[in-house]
Amino acid sequence: MKYSKFIFILFFVIGVSCTGELDIEPRQSISEGIATATAENIKNILIGAYNFGRNDLYGGNQTLYVELLGNTDQTAWNGTFANLRDLFAKQMTAANGSANNMYADSYFIIGSVNTVLANLDKFTDDAERNTAEGEALFIRGLAHFELVRLFGLPYAAGGANSQLGVPVLLLPPDVDRKVPRNTVSEVYSQVVADLTEAYTKLPDDNGVFADKYAAQAVLARVYLQMGDYANARDAANDVIANSGHGLMPTFADVFGTDDNTNEHIFSWIINNQEGTNFTVNHYASQPLGGRGGDISVEQAYLDKFDSPLDERASFFYDENGLTLTSKYARQFANTTPIRLAEMYLIRAEANFREGTSTGATPLADINAVRSRSSAPDLGAVTLDLILNERELELAFEGFVLHDYKRTQRNIGGLPYDDNRLVMPIPQSARDRNDLLEQNPGYAN
Amino acid sequence: MKARLLLSLMLVFTLCMSNALAQQRSVSGTVTTSEDDSSLPGVTVIEKGTTNGTITDADGNYSLTISSNDAVLVFSFVGFATVEEAVGSRSRVDISMNADLQTLSEVVVVGYGTQSKALLTDNVANIESSQISGISTPGFQNTLVGKAPGVQITQINGKVEGSVKVIIRGLSSISASQEPLYVIDGIEMNNSNESSIGANLNPLLSINPDDIESIDILKDASAAAIYGAKATNGVILITTKKGQQGKATVSVNLSNGIGKPTNLRDWLNREQYLELIRESAFNSGFFADQAASDAWVDTRLQRYQGDEDYNNVDTDWQDEALQSSHIRDASISISGGNEKTTTYISGAYQDNKGIVRGNNLERFSARANIDNKVGERFNVGINFNFSHTQIDRIAGDNAFVTPFQAIAQVPTSPTHLADGEPNGGTLYANFLLQDKHSFRETIVRRTLGKVYGEYEFLPELRYRTELGFDLYAQSVDRNTGRLAPFQSTNGQSFASNVERQLISTNNYFTFDKNIGETGNLNAVAGMTYTKSDRRSADVTGDGFPTDDFKSVSSAATISAGNGDFTAWSQLSYFIRATYVHLNKYILKASFRRDGSSVFGEDFRFGNFPAVSAAWRISEESFLNGSNVLSDLKLRASWGINGNTPTSNFGSLALYGGVSYNGGSGLASTQGANPNLKWEETSQINIGVDFGFMDNRITGSLDYYIKDTEDLIFNQRVPFEAAIPGHSILKNIGSLENKGFELTLSTVNIQTPDFNWKTTLNISTNKNEITKLPNGDDQITARNILREGESINSFYLVEYAGVDPDNGDALFVVNSENADGTLDKSTTNDFSQANRIIVGSPIPDWIGGLSSTLTYKEIDFSFTFQGQWGASVYNGGGTFQETGFGNGLDNQTTKILNRWQQPGDITDVPQARLFRNNGHSHSTRYLQKSDFIRLRNVSLGYSLPTSLLEKLNMTRVRVYFSGLNLLTFTDYDGYDPEATNDDGNTNTNIGSEFYSAPPAKVYTFGLNLTF
Repeated sequence: MKYSKFIFILFFVIGVSCTGELDIEPRQSISEGIATATAENIKNILIGAYNFGRNDLYGGNQTLYVELLGNTDQTAWNGTFANLRDLFAKQMTAANGSANNMYADSYFIIGSVNTVLANLDKFTDDAERNTAEGEALFIRGLAHFELVRLFGLPYAAGGANSQLGVPVLLLPPDVDRKVPRNTVSEVYSQVVADLTEAYTKLPDDNGVFADKYAAQAVLARVYLQMGDYANARDAANDVIANSGHGLMPTFADVFGTDDNTNEHIFSWIINNQEGTNFTVNHYASQPLGGRGGDISVEQAYLDKFDSPLDERASFFYDENGLTLTSKYARQFANTTPIRLAEMYLIRAEANFREGTSTGATPLADINAVRSRSSAPDLGAVTLDLILNERELELAFEGFVLHDYKRTQRNIGGLPYDDNRLVMPIPQSARDRNDLLEQNPGYAN
Repeated sequence: MKARLLLSLMLVFTLCMSNALAQQRSVSGTVTTSEDDSSLPGVTVIEKGTTNGTITDADGNYSLTISSNDAVLVFSFVGFATVEEAVGSRSRVDISMNADLQTLSEVVVVGYGTQSKALLTDNVANIESSQISGISTPGFQNTLVGKAPGVQITQINGKVEGSVKVIIRGLSSISASQEPLYVIDGIEMNNSNESSIGANLNPLLSINPDDIESIDILKDASAAAIYGAKATNGVILITTKKGQQGKATVSVNLSNGIGKPTNLRDWLNREQYLELIRESAFNSGFFADQAASDAWVDTRLQRYQGDEDYNNVDTDWQDEALQSSHIRDASISISGGNEKTTTYISGAYQDNKGIVRGNNLERFSARANIDNKVGERFNVGINFNFSHTQIDRIAGDNAFVTPFQAIAQVPTSPTHLADGEPNGGTLYANFLLQDKHSFRETIVRRTLGKVYGEYEFLPELRYRTELGFDLYAQSVDRNTGRLAPFQSTNGQSFASNVERQLISTNNYFTFDKNIGETGNLNAVAGMTYTKSDRRSADVTGDGFPTDDFKSVSSAATISAGNGDFTAWSQLSYFIRATYVHLNKYILKASFRRDGSSVFGEDFRFGNFPAVSAAWRISEESFLNGSNVLSDLKLRASWGINGNTPTSNFGSLALYGGVSYNGGSGLASTQGANPNLKWEETSQINIGVDFGFMDNRITGSLDYYIKDTEDLIFNQRVPFEAAIPGHSILKNIGSLENKGFELTLSTVNIQTPDFNWKTTLNISTNKNEITKLPNGDDQITARNILREGESINSFYLVEYAGVDPDNGDALFVVNSENADGTLDKSTTNDFSQANRIIVGSPIPDWIGGLSSTLTYKEIDFSFTFQGQWGASVYNGGGTFQETGFGNGLDNQTTKILNRWQQPGDITDVPQARLFRNNGHSHSTRYLQKSDFIRLRNVSLGYSLPTSLLEKLNMTRVRVYFSGLNLLTFTDYDGYDPEATNDDGNTNTNIGSEFYSAPPAKVYTFGLNLTF
């Protein structure tokens, strides 16, 4: 026992010398430092952004919001969700949860891709860097575009567009950031810049991820919304001529697939392992995985068809007396697609308005879309017929509100630029950031 | 065996007889105090080993007849050291008793040492093993109810494994832990709920209450400060029994208890149900006339009638869900040792069939505490405990398949079909199907161990090193057969394992030296290091060939799997010094510095100082010798304690794995707050300890103010900041608890044959949130956090009864008038009514009253507990008291008072099928939950010493004890303490939702010591 004293002293020395033991790293998470250290991880963050995007924004909800706000008599709302009911009734309040999610989630995905853009220096391979940069810019451009269309008063072609849009966010996440809203004009400029740059950086083909033609297709949409028909036409023409995509033989082939068809320029992936298809949730019957038809199709829409031969005129099914669209009849199907048919419609409209026939005549483009659905060819086109064709082809896919706004048509009894057709800046967003001004027509 | 016992008993009787014949003579004397030779009245004088005794008269004189010259007299008196004196041949025995020594030697455990109770400067509640023994309940925390002032202990509900909420001096945190720190024999214990379903599981179930020697609850900051960073919510120190030198002592405790729910509610029977639903259907306006609505009711009820005619069925579903419980306990311990080694070895078994059908618990545990003197200056020892607790669990209160939701079923549904299978056609999923075709078995295997070594460098200086180990291993096996409700695949099995390990080491010096002739300095300094690792894995499989296959290996598809690791560590240095001058003036100071891995590098360390002082005024010459005031001590303390966030990596920006199209990716999951730091509570405590009439009446009164700052909160950040969850953990917000605690103990009767002591404790607590992020209200369901209000106050629309003209439910508008007052007019439109703060789930007053009576060989004790000022919200009320407005759920008989015709004055609105007439969440379902409860009662008989000696036994006691036998309350729900165990979080409390009441248990038991 002579040495026991020293044993104890040894214990004490060991005891006091374990300061380093306080450094513990989490194991199913990694710290930001590690997450942004390598090119591989930066690519992973980009994939994480796609995952986030299809969860709420582009997993069907945004489509739903646009359809509910943009429709009055063509569809009916039968569901119980108060947020969505208020959208359809055009009586949103600043507390509307849908507006809140749309706003909050959009900035989160923008923050994620900005992290990618801020870490491009981690790439050593130029091609990889360009692809990552292009994809990030594609998502950022898309997200800002959808935000400004929903939260800002409409873009007026040729106008100053100094009405308030949404904050333009170009920097990675930052807890202390508080920014005011940019003007609609500033937001559109940034969207065009991002998508244009994305087009130059992206490869021709990029698997399920955005390629250069995805950026070009969204750009065509943006120009159309801005009334810049020449640019819209050229962008759409580029996609049709060079992307290698083609229309599917039948209308039914395009929908209800968890694999992109040749007509899909881009879509958000939903399959039996990942993601929830919110359009199916609200448009489909219970046996098909929906809530029993929260949104049903009404006679006013059916009346738009000019021929019973048109397969699109019967692309419906009945459920408990409700007419439901067959576009959303499969639980595990990709969402918010960008389809080539839209490019034909954009090229047709833009050529028509510009009096040109770049790529094809407007009539040829319209008939290309129609004949795929066995609708009889038209002999001649007018702007009204082109716009009507958009509704026949693209109904329930998230276009109606924006199309009516840009063509300055009334929605129900409301003029195209009515405040009630613009989402409120969410109460919660303004509670957190007092620099955000509320949209006109909303009390707080 | 029986024959031998009988023989012994006969022998005992014979010997008793002969004893009585022994020679008798008288002895007398005077008892005085050693201090000033004044006489001591009321001293008990007993002939040792007998019940023969007397007490001294007003002049301190006594006289007693003794039986032999070998007699030893035992002189005892509260507040004085007991004296034993052999009589020999003397006929006069005068005794001088020392006042202080005994109380000075009575110690409490204070963390890294002990402290004389008399010299204590802090608020520590001390509970001895005798106060908690013989109570039939699985969780030892339940045995402490009503016994410590300022400590509110609530068992969430009647499930055997249910969690127990322990709140010491009010809630001091909003999003971090609200639970005290548990330390067993100096080693920190893991107290994390590892339940894999919503209902919590008490992590401390594995402790055998019979192993506990004492429990010390450190309440004020100065007492708890030695545990610094984790002590905001107080510290509960558990000390287990140690071996005693000398002949081995064997103790055996056996008991058998049966239990019933504390309360049942009255539900509609068939006749009442049919009458009301027909009336309600007609009132709904959906039907043209009574015949049409009756027809609808008829068609509807046929759906639920199984193989029978519903008109002949009258099922009491409450009775199906509840049952008589049966609790069997057996424990044995052997204590003994010699000068070098002492051992305490024990084993215990509990089999507990709960009061809710399908809910059972079986536990066995063993403990060995061994202390060994290796050398003159060198001690080592080991404490080791393992336990195995197997629990048949049932779903949380919020699940359709939990048994207690059966009370919602229609009384005209039979429980079973003709073929004996449970009726699957009930209104809601029939829990009997779940009971029959599924199981959820949880096994907790726990090991608690400690080894220590202690070396005495000098008589004044000792060094102690301890290594502690706590392994909590839990497995869950769940199988849901294809016939169970909500089972869409061909059966599902889930298997999980969780291991949480806590390794810790304490190393410290203790210095104790008299300074001069009048002073004593005691100092402790050292360090402690704790590391916790948690690993969990689970797998879910779907689709089995038949229901006979239950393990995941036989599943057709593996549908889910998880694997998870997490850890934290803490390193602390501490020092504490206590200086005592003349046993009158005591000054104590301590300082602890804690570093924790859960914070960012720059805020890892926190400093937790404390100082306290006491003045024993009764020791001053001007009070010394006072007969009235026998003890008076003033105490004051101040200190700072801390609390850590529940998240182990709350300060870091984190990324987690996600997948997209089968490929993996990364997503930001948490924003960084490198400034995240400890929640800090500073507490001031002022107290006085007093004793009157030679300490026949003792007590203490304390007042505390506890201010918690830097509350850890999820601070909302702008959406444009693009942070996950749009919030980060931040230190913002503060709250305050303050209150009084009074303890009063009286020795009502003290004679050799009859002793009666009573202890009363009463405490108040007032909680106020003083600061919230941006001053914003935070509302979770029916609870609100608001500046200036008590934490988690109820926030509801005010119910205003029924309009006598039309039977509409009315609500108070409560909108703010221009002058700031509330508009108290009523409306029948719920959406016009505004929510206001209408009560609190936290009581203002809690109290306990314990009494112990012994008369010769009979002992009797009881504890009442009470609480006042809290409310309980019955979330199930919106289904149970609606008149079928919210579904066809069976209703409580309260609904029979419904409005029926104009002029009816009642507070139950007209019944209207599927129409909301007053069943939105409002104060209609909120009730005061004040109650007084006879928490424990125990009546025992011990064989007399004379008999025991002959039997060679030390103690033989038979007893009856009861738990929760009587409850006095106006609350008309199940039980004022039973609340929802599903989603019972820090901010969502005080709501009942199909929550089973606790058990009322009657126990017979036997204690044997030999």
